[in-house]
Amino acid sequence: ASAAAPSAVEFNFKGYMLQKAAAVNQALDAVVPLVYPERIHEAMRYSLLGGGKRVRPVLCLAACEIVGGRERQAMPPATALEMIHTMSLIHDDLPCMDNDDLRRGQPTNHCVFGEPLAVLAGDALLALAFGRLADPASYPADDPVPPARVVRAVGELSHCIGAEGLVAGQVVDMESTGLGIPVGLDRLEFIHLHKTAALLEASVVIGAIVGGGSDNQIERLRRYARCVGLLFQVVDDILDVTKSSQELGKTAGKDLASDKTTYPKLMGLEKSREFAEELLKDAKDQLSEFDPIKAAPLLHLADYIAHRQK
Amino acid sequence: AAAAAASFDLRGYWTTLLPQIESQLDAALPVRFPERIFEAMRYSVLAGGGKRAPPIMCIAACELVGGDRSAAFPTACALEMIHAASLVHDDLPCFDAAPLRRGRPSTHARFGVDMAVLAGDALFPLAFSHVVARTPRDLVPPATVLRALAEIARAVGSTGMAAGQFLDLTGAAAAGEADVVAVLEKKFGEMAECSAVCGGILGGAGEEEAEGLRRYGRAVGVLYELVDDILMADAGSNGKMRSNARAVAALGMERAMEMVGELQGKAKRELQRFGDKYGDRVLPLYSFVDYAVERGFVVEAG
Repeated sequence: ASAAAPSAVEFNFKGYMLQKAAAVNQALDAVVPLVYPERIHEAMRYSLLGGGKRVRPVLCLAACEIVGGRERQAMPPATALEMIHTMSLIHDDLPCMDNDDLRRGQPTNHCVFGEPLAVLAGDALLALAFGRLADPASYPADDPVPPARVVRAVGELSHCIGAEGLVAGQVVDMESTGLGIPVGLDRLEFIHLHKTAALLEASVVIGAIVGGGSDNQIERLRRYARCVGLLFQVVDDILDVTKSSQELGKTAGKDLASDKTTYPKLMGLEKSREFAEELLKDAKDQLSEFDPIKAAPLLHLADYIAHRQK
Repeated sequence: AAAAAASFDLRGYWTTLLPQIESQLDAALPVRFPERIFEAMRYSVLAGGGKRAPPIMCIAACELVGGDRSAAFPTACALEMIHAASLVHDDLPCFDAAPLRRGRPSTHARFGVDMAVLAGDALFPLAFSHVVARTPRDLVPPATVLRALAEIARAVGSTGMAAGQFLDLTGAAAAGEADVVAVLEKKFGEMAECSAVCGGILGGAGEEEAEGLRRYGRAVGVLYELVDDILMADAGSNGKMRSNARAVAALGMERAMEMVGELQGKAKRELQRFGDKYGDRVLPLYSFVDYAVERGFVVEAG
C-alpha cells in the first residue's frame, strides 16, 4: 500500500467520481427513453435516475480501465449493473418484502406508482439490463468488444444475481429477520457476500472481462471486489447505528428496530471498525500488482467506501 | 403442404421432445442452500407439467432452417424458465391474484408472496445463465448466442411482455379491437415470437428468415390465446382466467372467429417461403398452426 501512496496523493478522486457518474447518468438517461407505454418507463426512470452514487457502474468502468480497456467499452455493462441494482432495491422495498417507503430520500417506487407497476418496472429493468449487456449494438462500432467476452460477461452477471447470488442473500436475510435471536457471524457474512458483495463483484469482474483482462487479473479483481463488498455492508451497519435518517436519506436505526443482525450488534462498534480496516487492507493488497496510476481509481474507491459518511 | 401437414404427426414430435425438455429443466434446477428459493423455482417450472409450447416451437424453428436440435435445446429450456417466471409474477395478488395455476396452488399461494417475487427474479437470470453455460460452442458462435439472448431480453422487457401485463392491468383490453390485439400481441404473442426467432437464429437463419419466423411466431401466439378465449366463452366457463383481456367479450364472437381465420392464414403464408426452400421440414411449424386452432390432442408432461 505504501508504494501506491505517492500517486494516491496526486489522484483527484472526487473529480474522477463526478466525471464518471455524469457519464453514467447520461448513458442511463438515454437507455430508458419515455416510449409507449409511458407509465412503465416513467416508473423505471423514477428509480433509475433518482440519484445514487453509481458505485457499481464506476467500479465496472474502473475495472475495465485498470486492465487496459476503454470507458466506452464498459458503459453498456456499467448501465446494466445500475439497472440490476435499482431493480433489486425496487423489489426489496415492496410491501411483501421490506415494506420501505423511503429510499435515497424519496418515496419508494411502489409508493409513487403502486405495487403492480413497481413489480413490472423491476422486471423490465432486469430484462433491459441483459438486453443492453448482450446486444452488440450497445457497444462502440469503432472499438468493439469481442462477442466471446460479452457472452462470458452475461454468464457472470446471471450467476451473481440469481438464486446462487443476490437472490440467495435476500432470501437468507428474509429468513433471518424477526426470529428474535441473532444469527451467527457465518450467516451474516453469507447474507452480505450474496446480497451486497455479489453485485459489486459482478461489476468489477465484468468490467475486467470486457476490458480484456487476463484470468489472473480477473481473479485478483474478484477478490478485491469481495472485500470491498463486505466492507460496504460493514460500513452500512456502522452508519445505521451512528447516523440519523436525515443524514442517510433512508430510515436510520431500522436494523436495530427490526431486530436485524448487524456487525455492530454481533461484535460491537469498535471491533466492527477494526474488521472494516482489515477488509480495506485486503482489498488494496489485490491491486498491488497493477500499474499504480491505473490502480488509483479502484484504490480510492475502496477508501471511499470505507470512509463514507452516508 | 396442407395435405402433408394433415399427415404429419405433431403429437409424436412433441411427445418425443417433452421428456428431454423435462429432464434438462429438472437438472437445471437443483435444490441448494437456501433451499426454499430453489424449491419455489422448481415448483414454478416443474410442478404440474405444462405443454412446453415455447420450447417445442423454438426447436422446430431451429430444425426448419437446418440447425441441429442441440443448438437450440438450452435456449428452448431457458424460454420455459422465462415463461414460468412471467406466470409467477402475473399470478401475484397485486396482478391477477390467481390462487391456482395448472390446477395447483400458484407459487405465491404455496411459498408466500415474497418468495414468489424472488423466484421470478431468480428464474430470469437462470435462463440467461443456462443459455450461456449449455449452448454447444462448436455449433453456435458467441455472436449468435448474443443475438438470442438480446431477443429474449427484448421479449420480456418494457415494450414486450411487461408492457402487455401493464396494458392488461390498466384495462386497455376493454377498449376497441386495436387495444385488445395489442394486449394479446404483447402478453402472448411475444413469447411465441421470441421462441420462433431464437430457434431460427440458433439454427443459422438469415436476417430475412428470422423476420419471417418473427411474424409467424407472433401470429401463432395470438391465435393460440384467442382460441383459448373462444373455447372458454363457448364453455360458458369463468374458471380458467388467463387474461383480463377476455378478447371474445371485447371483440364479439363473430369477429373473434373471423380473426382466428385471418391469423391462421397469416401464419401459414409466412411459412410458404420456407416450404419452397426446405420442403417437408416446414411441417412441424405448419401443423403447429392447426394445432393452435383445433387442439386435436392433449399434451402433458409426465
